[in-house]
Amino acid sequence: MNKEQVYLDACKTTRLDPKVLEEMKPYFLEKYWFPGNFTDIGNEIADEISESQKKIAKTINAEPGEIIFTSGGTDGNNIALKGIMAANREKGKHFITSKVSHPSVLTVFKALEDEGYEGTYISADEEGYLDLEELRSSIRKDTTLVALTHINHTLGTVQKIDAISEILQNANHKINFFLDSCEAYTKIPIDVKKQKIDAISISGHKFNGPKGTGFLFVKDGTKVKKTQNGIARLHPLKPGVVNVPGIVGITKAADLIFEDFEGHVERLANLQKKLYDGIKQRIDDIRLNGPALGERSPAHLNISFMAVEGEAIMMMLNFDDIHIETGSACSAKELKADYIMMNTGRTFEESHGSVRFTLDKFVTEEQIDKTIDSLEKTIKELRRRSPLGKKKTN
Amino acid sequence: MAIKYSEKVIEHFKNPHNIGELEQPSGAATEGSPACGDQLSVYLNIEEGTNVIKDIKFQSYGCASNIATASIITDMAKGKTIDQAKEITWKQAAEELGGLPPVKMHCSVLAVDALRSAIKDYEKNHLGKEFDESLSKVNVKKELHKIIYGKVGVDILTLKLVKYVGVDNDNNVIIDLEMDKDDKFLPDVKEEIEEHLSKFDKANEVKINVV
Repeated sequence: MNKEQVYLDACKTTRLDPKVLEEMKPYFLEKYWFPGNFTDIGNEIADEISESQKKIAKTINAEPGEIIFTSGGTDGNNIALKGIMAANREKGKHFITSKVSHPSVLTVFKALEDEGYEGTYISADEEGYLDLEELRSSIRKDTTLVALTHINHTLGTVQKIDAISEILQNANHKINFFLDSCEAYTKIPIDVKKQKIDAISISGHKFNGPKGTGFLFVKDGTKVKKTQNGIARLHPLKPGVVNVPGIVGITKAADLIFEDFEGHVERLANLQKKLYDGIKQRIDDIRLNGPALGERSPAHLNISFMAVEGEAIMMMLNFDDIHIETGSACSAKELKADYIMMNTGRTFEESHGSVRFTLDKFVTEEQIDKTIDSLEKTIKELRRRSPLGKKKTN
Repeated sequence: MAIKYSEKVIEHFKNPHNIGELEQPSGAATEGSPACGDQLSVYLNIEEGTNVIKDIKFQSYGCASNIATASIITDMAKGKTIDQAKEITWKQAAEELGGLPPVKMHCSVLAVDALRSAIKDYEKNHLGKEFDESLSKVNVKKELHKIIYGKVGVDILTLKLVKYVGVDNDNNVIIDLEMDKDDKFLPDVKEEIEEHLSKFDKANEVKINVV
């Protein structure tokens, strides 16, 4: 596979920034030590990890001691959700999440339900926004945690965190507020103090950092029971090996984006607009899934191409070395339509022909042009083959 | 393990044979529905007297294997008599393509189904044949034979996943399925049953019990 790949599936994973790799290399080959006390090599690594915590904390307005390095979003979600529920078990067994949460949140809650916890799954509207009235009315005396996905991975919807926080602040008792912000971090500003968030899980490989890295923010004073056991070299919630190169890598990846955050977001938004405008101009009978541009994640576009099927689009684009994701049931292992599309009032046909394009900093304007060309050709050809191709569906 | 298509499937998807419509087909049929994600239309030109399929075209609203199986089956049917074409099975079509992933085997079933329905359409309109399409246990079973359990790529009757089929006096269809309630393919099997039995106008309600 020597040809340039146009990778528009950044919501799944991204390419490691070569600058990040350079930063990590010495920690594999030379400074391969663990942080430690009393020795110069141990102290040096400990200082560098402290520095990483400081830098990462700054990006979300947290305190350095509130940053716990993990192996990724799923790891952070498990530590936080299970730990918070267990620590508050005496107070209550009820949690609230949503029908459009990410599977890495939903699967943890499924496991917690099997252990006797109870959950309420609030609904979302057609654009993927959560029903905040339903959230308000779902709060029970024994609710101890509200855990949501910050930016919806399928629709690009940015949840209204300030309004959600206000609801939780006005409850009669303390409810922990957790966000899976894997898709939101580096796309929209996050301020854990202002937005009154208690815990956040982040994954490194979603913003050109190394795979197998992540961090968890846990607000000082938040009760989280340990769910993993071992030698706690950095933090009791995450014992075991300290992934020093990974910590250095995720920090560098964040650094590279946050040194010009506004510029980075503006660049993504421009690419997103270019892609959407191009598709709209050249292909008819399409639907935008999720909120309008300007209100959604700048890195995210989801479009249904009517009368054609998504797996076929995905494969045709693949022939041109372009990579996207589809919500079509045909491409799912168990032939199920995308649950986010189904839970936001989309028709089966809309889900069937839906394509998700997600961007990172390495996507270029030329790649967007190439994608629009390939899409126009693909949709035209698939509609020629389709019995529904001749008639407009709207 | 990753789901992968054979080279032949890719080839037929890239350059499908017999795409399009026929102006005045002597037989035509559409199987599947947009709501369940696969739809296939087959058009036939059949020589009267010899009953040889002279021309055949298809249109597909489906995935790569849907297009590829339709492409191969139209190739296989072309030049055959209708009686020979009716004998083509979904297993043969899949074999011709160098195999299909189990989860995609239903595409081959749909292709065979659409071909057979188009032939039936011809037989009804040109040969004056009549078919028993009533809501009977036998006909319900015929439909269940077309439903593939995606985990292994074989139909649910052959796999003996159907423990009971019945039609009661109120025209409700009752089906007992022996499947694990947590089986990830259960929703797909249920949807397929409902979609296949919806062709019986008289069917009142389809009651599926998982036993």
